[in-house]
Amino acid sequence: MVLATSCVDSLDDYNIDPKRASVVPSTSLVSSAERELASTLASANVNTNVFRLYVQYWAQTTYFDESIYDINTRNINRNFWSALYRDVLADLNEAKRLITADNSMDAKVKANQLAAIETLEVYTWAVLVDTYGNIPYSEALDFNKPQPKYDDAKTIYDDLIKRLDTAIGSFDKSAGGLGAADLYFNGDTGNFVKFANSLKLRLAMTIVDVDQAKAKTLVESTVGKLISSNEESAKLTFLGSNPNTNPLYVDLVQSGRYDFVGTNFFIDRLNTLKDPRLGAYFKPNGGTFKGGIYGVGNNYASFSSPGVALEDPTAPSYLLSYSQVEFLLAEASARGFAVGGTAASHYNNAVTASIKRWGGSDADATAYLAQPAVAYATATGDYKQKIGVQKWIALYGQPVDSYREFRRLDYPKLTKPEGALSNLPVRFPYPVVEQNLNTANNAAAAAAIGGDNVNTKIFWDKF
Amino acid sequence: MRKILLTAALLAPVLLQQVAAQNRQISGRVTDRSSGQGLPGVTVLVKGTTVGVSTNSDGSYTISAPSTATTLTFSSIGFVPVERPIGTESTIDIGLATDSKVLNEVIVTAQNVERTRNSLPYAATQVDGENITKARNPSFINGLSGKVAGVNIRQSNGIGGSSNILIRGTSSLFGNNQPLFVVDGVPISNANTNTAGQQTGRGGYDYGNAATDINPDDIASTTILKGAAATALYGERAGNGVIIITTKKGRKGIGVTINTGATGGRIDRSTFMKYQKEYGAGYGTYYEDASGFFLSRDIDGDGVEDLVAPLSEDASYGARFDPNLNVYQWDAFDPSSPNFGKARPWVAADNGPEAFFKTALTLNNSVIVDGGTENGTFKLGYTSIRDKGVLENSEVNKNILNFGGSLNLTPKITVSSSVNYSRVDGKGRYGTGYGDGNVMTNFRQWWQTNVDLKEQKAAFERTGRNVTYNFADPTNLTPIYWNNPYWVRNKNFETDSRNRIFGNAAATYKVTDWFNVLGRVSVDSYDEVQEERIAIGSVGLSNYSRFNRTSREYNYDLIGNFSKNINESISLRGLLGANVRRQQFSSIFAETNGGLIVPDLYSLSNSVSDPVPPIEDETRVGVDGIFASATLGFREMVFVDLTVRRDKSTTLPSSNNTFVYPSAAVGFVFSELLKDVSWLSYGKVRANYAEVGQGADPQSVLTNYSKVTTYNSNPLFSLPGTRNNPDLKPLRTKSSEAGIEMNFLRNRVGFDFTVYQRNTIDQILPITLSTATGYNSRFVNSGEVRNRGVEISGFVTPVKLADFSWTVNANWTRNRNEVLSLFGDFDNIVLATYQGGVSSNYAIGQPAGIIRGANLVYKDGQKVVGANGYYAQTVSSNEIIGDPNPEWTAGVTNTFNYKGIGFYFLLDIRKGGDIFSLDRYYGLATGMQPETAGLNDLGNPSRLPISEGGGVILPGVLADGTPNTKRVSNTNFGLYGYRRNPAGAFVYDGGFVKLREVSLSYSLPTSIVSKFGAIRGVDFSVVGRNLWILHKNLPDADPEDALSSGNRGQGYSSGSFPAVRTLGGNIRLSF
Repeated sequence: MVLATSCVDSLDDYNIDPKRASVVPSTSLVSSAERELASTLASANVNTNVFRLYVQYWAQTTYFDESIYDINTRNINRNFWSALYRDVLADLNEAKRLITADNSMDAKVKANQLAAIETLEVYTWAVLVDTYGNIPYSEALDFNKPQPKYDDAKTIYDDLIKRLDTAIGSFDKSAGGLGAADLYFNGDTGNFVKFANSLKLRLAMTIVDVDQAKAKTLVESTVGKLISSNEESAKLTFLGSNPNTNPLYVDLVQSGRYDFVGTNFFIDRLNTLKDPRLGAYFKPNGGTFKGGIYGVGNNYASFSSPGVALEDPTAPSYLLSYSQVEFLLAEASARGFAVGGTAASHYNNAVTASIKRWGGSDADATAYLAQPAVAYATATGDYKQKIGVQKWIALYGQPVDSYREFRRLDYPKLTKPEGALSNLPVRFPYPVVEQNLNTANNAAAAAAIGGDNVNTKIFWDKF
Repeated sequence: MRKILLTAALLAPVLLQQVAAQNRQISGRVTDRSSGQGLPGVTVLVKGTTVGVSTNSDGSYTISAPSTATTLTFSSIGFVPVERPIGTESTIDIGLATDSKVLNEVIVTAQNVERTRNSLPYAATQVDGENITKARNPSFINGLSGKVAGVNIRQSNGIGGSSNILIRGTSSLFGNNQPLFVVDGVPISNANTNTAGQQTGRGGYDYGNAATDINPDDIASTTILKGAAATALYGERAGNGVIIITTKKGRKGIGVTINTGATGGRIDRSTFMKYQKEYGAGYGTYYEDASGFFLSRDIDGDGVEDLVAPLSEDASYGARFDPNLNVYQWDAFDPSSPNFGKARPWVAADNGPEAFFKTALTLNNSVIVDGGTENGTFKLGYTSIRDKGVLENSEVNKNILNFGGSLNLTPKITVSSSVNYSRVDGKGRYGTGYGDGNVMTNFRQWWQTNVDLKEQKAAFERTGRNVTYNFADPTNLTPIYWNNPYWVRNKNFETDSRNRIFGNAAATYKVTDWFNVLGRVSVDSYDEVQEERIAIGSVGLSNYSRFNRTSREYNYDLIGNFSKNINESISLRGLLGANVRRQQFSSIFAETNGGLIVPDLYSLSNSVSDPVPPIEDETRVGVDGIFASATLGFREMVFVDLTVRRDKSTTLPSSNNTFVYPSAAVGFVFSELLKDVSWLSYGKVRANYAEVGQGADPQSVLTNYSKVTTYNSNPLFSLPGTRNNPDLKPLRTKSSEAGIEMNFLRNRVGFDFTVYQRNTIDQILPITLSTATGYNSRFVNSGEVRNRGVEISGFVTPVKLADFSWTVNANWTRNRNEVLSLFGDFDNIVLATYQGGVSSNYAIGQPAGIIRGANLVYKDGQKVVGANGYYAQTVSSNEIIGDPNPEWTAGVTNTFNYKGIGFYFLLDIRKGGDIFSLDRYYGLATGMQPETAGLNDLGNPSRLPISEGGGVILPGVLADGTPNTKRVSNTNFGLYGYRRNPAGAFVYDGGFVKLREVSLSYSLPTSIVSKFGAIRGVDFSVVGRNLWILHKNLPDADPEDALSSGNRGQGYSSGSFPAVRTLGGNIRLSF
């Protein structure tokens, strides 16, 4: 008996997993988060990222459920939510905890690492707010608070901007940061700071309709510190083999499926404008570019499908592009903010940068911009429409950004398809499981935002 | 009710005084008169004295009788006692006749203690091996279905698939609820390696559960211990009940038994789809020709556009069949086809998916040789079960070798050993759930009714290539969503094998006649490999994966047994024991990356990109237990049981790893006081209370990081999905039970009525968290589930004549479970989520595993239709739409015997238990069932445009209660299926009445058998299984078919396999 009972006491190592690490390099968690974030944003998986459909770049062929806004069947809103909270924010938060606790590091490197992580967190939180509205924030990412309360979306945004400002202030460009663990900038602190400032610009312009004065101050504080070329864009360049390829390669090529074609709404517009990006965006069909109808079944062989550029496993996923920065500046300028240049000059830079990013030349851009329908001065509508339409065309590779900008600028005018199950969503409803897992807080949030449905606008979506 | 006892020296009570020397020695052997087998444990007593002995394991005895002795009495429970004058003989052999009293059968209880049924203060059911194998079921677990009250067995229809066994309901929310299996004292693994994805219907294979490695023909008897009072001695794993299996033992002399049998099986058509025959491929009017139903291409090059079937579309909402319409179909694009380049009439297929099923064939052969002498016995058995399924290229073969032996080294020391070796080889197990690996997903959810299966078969056999009906386009002949089903079965098959040895070596030392000590070492060890393939040319990426797993369990037991009559009225028996258990599980999973290079080469090195590092798992468990039990008997009338056990488990934090749990039970045989009541043969009441503690799953305490595949030489790590908990403590099950057993009219009628309640508290839950916490789940101690229920079993022998008897056995079980509390403020936690927007949940105040999803809206019991003419849906997608727990289950067997002819059948009944059918959720949308076509209220084809008199007015009322009159289109897909209806519209009652087993047997009379020399018995039987589903409510499918065993996936049906009706014969020869 004595022998037997003393046995288990000597087996403490049975609880130690001999195949898994209990200690890891802290920056390896950042690498994982960066990869997950870039993958989630680029994905065309109908279980996760359906925004190319919502902004009507693409129509579906046989299964068009997502085009008519069936969100529940595939729990899309849950998968997108979880990817950002669990696979991005949780790892960034853990990295922050480990780095903060590490007293052996060089102080400057440590500060740069923490500031970089803070920037990535702010980016991710903003995507969540832009998609859902009020979300668990102040009590999130803590397993000791299994039912985190939801915070007000605007309050979160204010805090994000504050945190981003603090992070920008704590970068020291003379020192290193995340090093090679930073898959976006390979540890180039200078470029990371430009990314942080550009993100600040984006956040500021996002709230411009609800707080123009604040936006103006913020925007003007970023001038001269922004991403200023395609090379400086924040992006992840994927690798040639699984599981590190661009997820589009998996969705479009490896799956062997033929799920998507361009919409006639989009392709007709590109055709009309003789857009030099058309051949990169789509494959010709019988020598011409032809779009399918959004929200119904389409015969794959009859229409133009997503272009070869999207099928490259190493194609980058953009988090914040130079073109995007210039569009934001164009809009800021049009609103009378002191950002240097004119609305037209920034608009031209934005369009040019986009065309070049998709393989076009300066000459292509010049010719394109010379058309009355494109030129800033003569393009149809007010600045929101001019910028909205061209930004929509340019953000083809950034569906999450495009979905936000479409809602904010209200251009192009998109209409829901005839068989739609709801209106065109202006937000995702909360994941159904949140109702089960965090019932009271979820119900309170639903009431606070004015109803947990696809019609409730995010706080910045004033029009 | 014959019972073969175990090593008598160990177990039979030797209660009687030892006798003085120099008396006369009488020896002999006591046998069962009906079988000639030796009877161990028979009390041999010198009449009028307390001098007596027990027979040993083969029925032999030697007694020293005083010279004054005149008569010996032979008595054994279950047999009619015999008195025999001694005379001058020194050898007295005797045959005992069976006593029909069912109640006095000997039952194997915890730690292999054999007890008479009247002395048991708790519910225990014994099923003889004979009754399990009556219908020659290759799985002994399935052979128990419907035969035991309180035991709910749900079998899957896949070949070698899992069986889910629940004794008294679901008590552990996330942990294992399957009972512990113990073979001859050895706990054996019933592990199921199916992945969480497989269990939730996301594809993969069902590899079955490991307890099915037991040879049904080697089972002498099975005891099902249900409540914790009966099982507490087995320790922490016994909270869900225990199934004790006693294997056959050798007899004196040499005996040989040979069984040879074959069964064939065909699918039960009531559990498969019926297809509409009016419309062919397509989703509606989305394509190229004027009607919109067809592609329009110039195939023959005559400059005129031709009609081409929409090949890429996996639905049957296409053009109406018309034999005058010539349409280019898939075979027109297969150069090897006789129809290459030819259009064909647009008609429904002659051979729909039902033509895909073959006749299943099972060959079951076994031989057991056994024998023994005064000093020992042995048994050697071999069984081969070769099983070919109803799908192409599917087989599971089992080869099982058993050895058992015991030897009396000295009068005081007996050694014994048993070894069981099995090898199970599977090939082409059925793909399960949703996905292109499961042809059922294709047939039930996404099919073209114009496709002829025999032509698909011919195309595959002609070319050896994946010539599918589902090409991407006439100009792109790659498969788009679905492979040729014959390709799937013949090229994308899995293989697996499991090599296993379990057994024990034991020694018993008889210290005195009332105390002995058993030492035993037992091992259950197996290695398994599972390989899965997706061939180059299939839909999606080609792939090869392999999973190797080893499982080792060692148990070391030291048990002292004592048994003593304190005086004439009071007996005391009991045991003291210690158990040391060590388990080790080790596995590695690896797969190719980015596809395969060389066709048909299935090797990790044949990978387009470098394979990502394999996933290794290594877990160990150590539990030390000490235990004691005492049974106090008073005049064979009152029995009191007390047990206590202490376990110490490595799965818990060391500060909290010890737990002690007691049980107490009392039985009162009140019929002993009513001996003059002639109609009452037997009556007993019993009551008990017990607790069982339990540790956690291994490695639930410390948290580690997950390794993510390296990115360009940069290491990537991530937090794990589940947060572990260093403060876990043991969970506890509190179980109470009361019952009454009564037999009447000389045991012609009897019943057993039991009520029980079981509360499981401090559950160790990987509680699902909002991912806003950064985790999917976290281990906590929390939550309480209560199961309470009623079990009734009864028997009646309405007719009992010299040559003819008819006996009915029946059992009925009702279990109600309720989640009493969860964690913190949670009033609902999610067990699993599924495709179709449904989930399994635990909600406070609700039964375990309720299904949630969007539902229909009802007004006064009528479905509400929205203003748009479609059914309204609840605002929330989170309504309770089903409860998968049956309301009650029952089994009824009828047994008729006339001379050597026996006829037997078993009805297995389940009432209630909801099922969500993903098959119908999609299948009705894609227009496969007849109800999606046909005529509407106007007498016109409903699929015509509304403008041409088509369309449908969905039955129901508007929100104001007035009848719906809005006509909606049924031209394009979706009206009846998922697109226009919430998940709640596809929930069905899972009840059934099945004719589970039938057997007709004939034993050659001894007068004939004796002419064959060595042959002692010849039995023929014709057996049938699942021959007829008398009643069910789930259309098109078998409500019983399950994806896997375990808690997940219960009440969820996707890619369901039809039931198989099995008919066959068996011959048994005994020598």
